[in-house]
Amino acid sequence: MVCARMVKHLRLPLLLLLLALAAECNSMSKPGKPDKLGCRSPDKETFFCWWTPGSGGGLPTVHRLYYKTEGRETVRQCPDYHTAHSCFFSKTYTSIWVEYTVIVEASNALGNTSSDPLTFDLMDIVKPYAPENVTLVVSIGDNPHLTIQWHTPSNIDTKSGWVTLKNQLRIKLEKSKIWKNYTSDTQTHFTIYNIELGVVYMVEVRCAIDNSAWSEWTNTTFVKVPNFPRTDNSFWILVFSLSLIPLLVAMIILILKRKTVKKYILPPVPAPKIRGVDVQLLKSGRSEDVINAMLLNQRFPVVMPWKDQNEDYLIVSDKETSYLPLEKNKIFILPVAITLDSEVQSKETSEVDRFLKDSESSSEESSEKTKSSQLLTKCPSTNVLNDEKANQLKGVTEKIIQPFGISGYVDIPRHEHTQEADYSRVNEVNSDNILITKKENVPHTLDTQGQEGGVLDDYSRVKEVNSDNTVFLEKHSDSVNASIRAKGYIDWVNQKAKSPHVTGDSEMGVCPQLVGCGYVDTFPPPAVI
Amino acid sequence: KSTQFFSVVSVALLCLVFCSQPTSLDAAPLCTNAEAGCHVLSLANLFDRVIQHSARMHGISNDLHSEFELYFLPSKNQIGRVSRNCHTSNILTPNGKENAQRMAREELTEVILKLLVAWRDPLWHFHQSMTHFHDFIDFSSNKSLKMSDMVHELRKGVQKVVEKMQMLGILSNSVSSLMSPEAFLASGSAEWRLMKDYELLYCFRRDSNKVQNYLKILKCRIVPEDGC
Repeated sequence: MVCARMVKHLRLPLLLLLLALAAECNSMSKPGKPDKLGCRSPDKETFFCWWTPGSGGGLPTVHRLYYKTEGRETVRQCPDYHTAHSCFFSKTYTSIWVEYTVIVEASNALGNTSSDPLTFDLMDIVKPYAPENVTLVVSIGDNPHLTIQWHTPSNIDTKSGWVTLKNQLRIKLEKSKIWKNYTSDTQTHFTIYNIELGVVYMVEVRCAIDNSAWSEWTNTTFVKVPNFPRTDNSFWILVFSLSLIPLLVAMIILILKRKTVKKYILPPVPAPKIRGVDVQLLKSGRSEDVINAMLLNQRFPVVMPWKDQNEDYLIVSDKETSYLPLEKNKIFILPVAITLDSEVQSKETSEVDRFLKDSESSSEESSEKTKSSQLLTKCPSTNVLNDEKANQLKGVTEKIIQPFGISGYVDIPRHEHTQEADYSRVNEVNSDNILITKKENVPHTLDTQGQEGGVLDDYSRVKEVNSDNTVFLEKHSDSVNASIRAKGYIDWVNQKAKSPHVTGDSEMGVCPQLVGCGYVDTFPPPAVI
Repeated sequence: KSTQFFSVVSVALLCLVFCSQPTSLDAAPLCTNAEAGCHVLSLANLFDRVIQHSARMHGISNDLHSEFELYFLPSKNQIGRVSRNCHTSNILTPNGKENAQRMAREELTEVILKLLVAWRDPLWHFHQSMTHFHDFIDFSSNKSLKMSDMVHELRKGVQKVVEKMQMLGILSNSVSSLMSPEAFLASGSAEWRLMKDYELLYCFRRDSNKVQNYLKILKCRIVPEDGC
């Protein structure tokens, strides 16, 4: 309490003391030296200077600027102090290519203080103002670009040619730190291509007169580049995808139905075809079937039997020989040989008996018969006949007149010991391809030759029957075992000389198509002839 | 057939390329005597050429001056700098835009020519004296040589412009009397020998700037087509 009262009492004297001290410190003196004198010409026609006044002095000070030009010794004062601490020189007072010396003097009641002089030529202090009205135009399309436009500072006269401006601009992305500079000489516009979309750009411009210093940069101008309008894109994407769907569907259909499409577009070209011939059969290579197919398809003229002829069809057979119990029907199958049927049937049983009797006589012959029957097996119509013969016939040959279309061979059952051999000589072969034999006695010589055993019994296969009703027999003498002896043969060889119809050495014309693979047993030619 | 078509097309294209050339010969060289068939430049083109030339000359002189200052005189703002006694001070030159605009064409042209003429020898000698300075040679020996050449070339160019103008009747014939450098040199011939190199550079820098500006003023006054 006592202290507080003490402070209160002492407050006023303290204040007075402080004031006195302050008055002491703030002593009046000469004005401070004006500092930082600078001059600038924004248009090469006028200029102005400025300074900062020195500190203190305590007394009201007045600043004056004095200048001196080169060549003139008179010192003149600033013509126009239009703002505080600056001096403006109008055109009248401005000369270029003349050196100015400027000095600022601060004066108060106590004295003057001058600044350092500044010497300059106008062309050294030229520094224009920054450009004005910077505008940015973004153009999007095929070629997005940014167009920057500005105006020169309004105080500059470019028309007289006194001032030549050059410009510089810089641009950067908002988020970037690096500016990119571009120079545009006298043009007041500039276009930047290759701009990014959807970003903000910052642009600043400055200019310079001749080779002087650059002006300040303009205030930053911002521009946002919009993205491409998505609606257009999405529309076209939609259209595109919709148009793809029917295309896909069409493709799928095409793939699924490619065979029909292929048929439609490329109709199959009909291959050459023979009626009745199966191409596959040809390819498989079974020639017999092929031949059959071809032959079957051919229509041969139906051969009608000669009813007019009074010919006897005989079955020449050995009486002792037995015949196979053949069925009648199998022997005479063709309607063509109806006459044959009637005549032969009567003798059939006896023949069969004879066959049977002789069946045991020769086993060798049976083997031969099997061979012959085997050969005969190829004839389709005589299959049954041949089999039976093979099994039961022994050494008995049978003359069977085969009707057409059936394999025919004529076997004359031969009597082993007989001196008389019944041989029928083929008298002729008539046009109906019937072998007509007549009964006659043939000298033994033929038989004995056959009996001697050293004779190679010849079987000739009927090679073919040509259209002239000629039976071609294969000439061979070595296809048959020498040991095999045939019993009855038709002496084809002799017939050869007598019958003009018989052609060729051991050749006989027999129609191969109808007879099939008939063969005729023959004597070995050399023995006979 | 296709080869025939191709050859015809190629011939047509070649013809297009070469047949159209005679009409676009803008960059033909200056004709000395206006001989027949010589493509003559327009006055504006001539002016542009000399202005560009003078700008380059001023650029080189500026560079040389600042290099010299940097190298030989590190303290820039020297109080008590030598007064600028350029040897061309007695040539009256307009010191402002209005003064230059007010000056007659012939007078202005004369001033330009006088300046260019006045500097031919001093620059040559300057180059000669610089070759002895090994340090300076490293810096800018090429520039001093180039500078003296350029003054010479610029003078010839300006003379051509004057001739053209006189031919066109823009300029009267009174200018021709000042073409010869001897007429000028007789008066102030010895002064430039007293100038120091640095001062010489400073003076030339200023005078090249003058030439450039005067030419620009002249061009925009006589042929104010573009660039003004």
